[in-house]
Amino acid sequence: MIPDMTQTGKPEKEAPSSSNSAPVVMFDRVSKSYGRITALTSVSLGISGGVTGILGMNGAGKSTFFKLMMGKIRPSSGTIRLFGEDPWKNTAPYSRIGFVPEHEKLHDWMTAFDFVTTFARLHGLTRSEAEKEATRVLKFVSLDDVMHKQIGQFSKGMRQRVKIAHALVNDPELIVLDEPLQGCDPLARTTIMNVIKELGAMGRTVLVSSHILGEIERITEQIVILHRGRILALGNSHAIREMLDQHPHKIVLQCQNPREIAKHIIDVGQVTGMAFVDSDKLILETNNLGDVHAKLPKLIVDSGFTVTGIDNPDDDLQSILKYLTGGSI
Amino acid sequence: MDTVWSKLDRKSTAIAEFTMRQYRQRISTWVILASATFTIMLMLLFYVDAMNSEFESIDNDGDSFDDDGDGYPNGQEILEGTNPHSADSFPDWVEPDPPEKWINEDDFDWDSLEIGENSVGFDDDGDCKIKDTPSQRDSNSNNVECDIRINLDPANSTFLVEGDIGVDEDPDEDKYGKEASHRAFILGIGKFGIVYLLGIFLPLFLATGLIRDEITDGTIHYILAKPISRGEVLLYRMIGYIGITWPFIIGLCLFLSIITGIFGPGEDAFRWSDIGIWMSIAFAAMLVSLVYGVIFCGFGILWKNGVILALIFATWELGMAFVSIFSGGESAVRYFSVIGWGLTVVDAGTLIFWPDNFLLIEKGLWGGGHAFEVNSFFDMEVGYEPLPGAEPLQGFSSNPGLGLSNWLSMLTSSMVLIFQGIIAWYIGQTIFKGKEVD
Repeated sequence: MIPDMTQTGKPEKEAPSSSNSAPVVMFDRVSKSYGRITALTSVSLGISGGVTGILGMNGAGKSTFFKLMMGKIRPSSGTIRLFGEDPWKNTAPYSRIGFVPEHEKLHDWMTAFDFVTTFARLHGLTRSEAEKEATRVLKFVSLDDVMHKQIGQFSKGMRQRVKIAHALVNDPELIVLDEPLQGCDPLARTTIMNVIKELGAMGRTVLVSSHILGEIERITEQIVILHRGRILALGNSHAIREMLDQHPHKIVLQCQNPREIAKHIIDVGQVTGMAFVDSDKLILETNNLGDVHAKLPKLIVDSGFTVTGIDNPDDDLQSILKYLTGGSI
Repeated sequence: MDTVWSKLDRKSTAIAEFTMRQYRQRISTWVILASATFTIMLMLLFYVDAMNSEFESIDNDGDSFDDDGDGYPNGQEILEGTNPHSADSFPDWVEPDPPEKWINEDDFDWDSLEIGENSVGFDDDGDCKIKDTPSQRDSNSNNVECDIRINLDPANSTFLVEGDIGVDEDPDEDKYGKEASHRAFILGIGKFGIVYLLGIFLPLFLATGLIRDEITDGTIHYILAKPISRGEVLLYRMIGYIGITWPFIIGLCLFLSIITGIFGPGEDAFRWSDIGIWMSIAFAAMLVSLVYGVIFCGFGILWKNGVILALIFATWELGMAFVSIFSGGESAVRYFSVIGWGLTVVDAGTLIFWPDNFLLIEKGLWGGGHAFEVNSFFDMEVGYEPLPGAEPLQGFSSNPGLGLSNWLSMLTSSMVLIFQGIIAWYIGQTIFKGKEVD
């Protein structure tokens, strides 16, 4: 798949524009190698506005992509521009960026308020300005009631929110979050997802990485799939999903009378095969997942039998990658 | 109004403040500072003990003895003109002196020395003046009877002492020994204990990991994602480092100056003259710890086991410290080090605040020209035996060796240290800027 250099997201509000018309983030044939190991191979893309999800399995090159973007490491070849500047040579663009690193380690001895205030001052804010901004962002991530407690006492989700708060303190135009949901409990995930969606709604350019498709889909429609250091797919998640829907999928129905239900479903044209596993599972095969899912609820109701669960085992990132790479992941 | 400078100032105070807080909350910082204090205190115990013990008084010229057993000490008989070797000859017109009056009775009278030839000294006990012939009374042949000839040549760092026999030959060992030991202690503990050991020990433990630990922990990402260059980060972290180490050095030296000021010898309740020396020591240690700090921090950035490089460097510096301290300022090799310049600051300070230090050393080394006489083939030479404390004081005292005035020597060596610090920072930030932070 050829990356679309003009690809942009769909901000609900006009994003603050960079000093020129260039994308906020621009990678042009960027490669990065560590000795013989290639972490990123000829990646080209431009991102401006909206929330973009960077999807990839562990080791796909997501963190390398972010580190290159944030000037932490130098590309082996190619050009990177952040607000039109080379991030390896110039730290000026960082005043317009908020970065949430993947690293878990924080300064546990500090309070959340101290932590956010201290790093806010590195943007050139006075102490009182920094304190005011820290209070604002900690409230935004719903940590205002515990902001004077030491970070060491915080749960994983709260620590992630502290990291997000510290990245928002300069009111950035671009927010980069490297695996912000990793290790969080469901409640924390929901909270963080809401924060990210809200940031997107506020017109910020947000880049968020994950290795879980469902998480990214709940946040944004705009995704980039990285695999083995290359961009495998890029664009709207619906388009990718539609494309995926064309390849054989399995649907697993959890029910007490699989054979009876099968009689009702067999007439659906898009179902290409059926299998019975154990005594309570019916597996359907289809080349048009969307169509079958559209018809399935009515058929089940009409059958009069109870279905306790519907699962799509092929609907995860691994299956998508398998499909996109022709089975070699 | 916000300017580039005010923003820079905010960033620098934020990082420096953060660094100091980070140090304060680490137990290791307190352990290091406590260990350093404990070691210095241990050395201080030896000093207090030395100041409270007495140096044995020696009758260098033997005139407290009563050779003829007539009850009058030899010295009294010589002064009164009777024969100390005849029991029938004694000064019956005066009461016999107690023997101890003739111990340490001819102390140094060496004031107002000038560059070039000097004639000083006074024959307090009259055992020179009473000699029979002018040549006996002028054994140093400078045409002045019963004096000490001193040739002072600072250009060549030479100090020649030739005394007529019987002049200033019985100095006060305890008075001299305490003064010399006091000064030797201050210079010894100051130069080796504080400028070298503390100067290298503190940065080894406190500066090597200043950036390295942040990289290892991954917390460096929070700083590096801000609009601040890596060179600035290094600089401001160093400010935080000196915010902890410098007050400690100043505090320790101030404490030591109070202790030595109280326990040191002298008629006054407090030796104010030592404050200047201690401040020179503190100043040198501050500069040295800064330069070492920047170098070691750079080693930490270069390699995660940078402490190994720091230890190799510290070994070189130890060698240079020995060369500096024990060459008496003669060896120029010491200028290829940090410690060499640091100790030059102290050497210059010593000459500024104790201008009589070299005179005191020479006095002690000359020791009164007592004890024994060596008969050479052609004439008689006087063998010298140093007074207690003279040799240690000589060991720890050096000439700045720059051929400049004392203040200029101090200024020059301080500037060199600052320059070394700037060069080390430049190299360190270049390494840091080129380092990929994973």
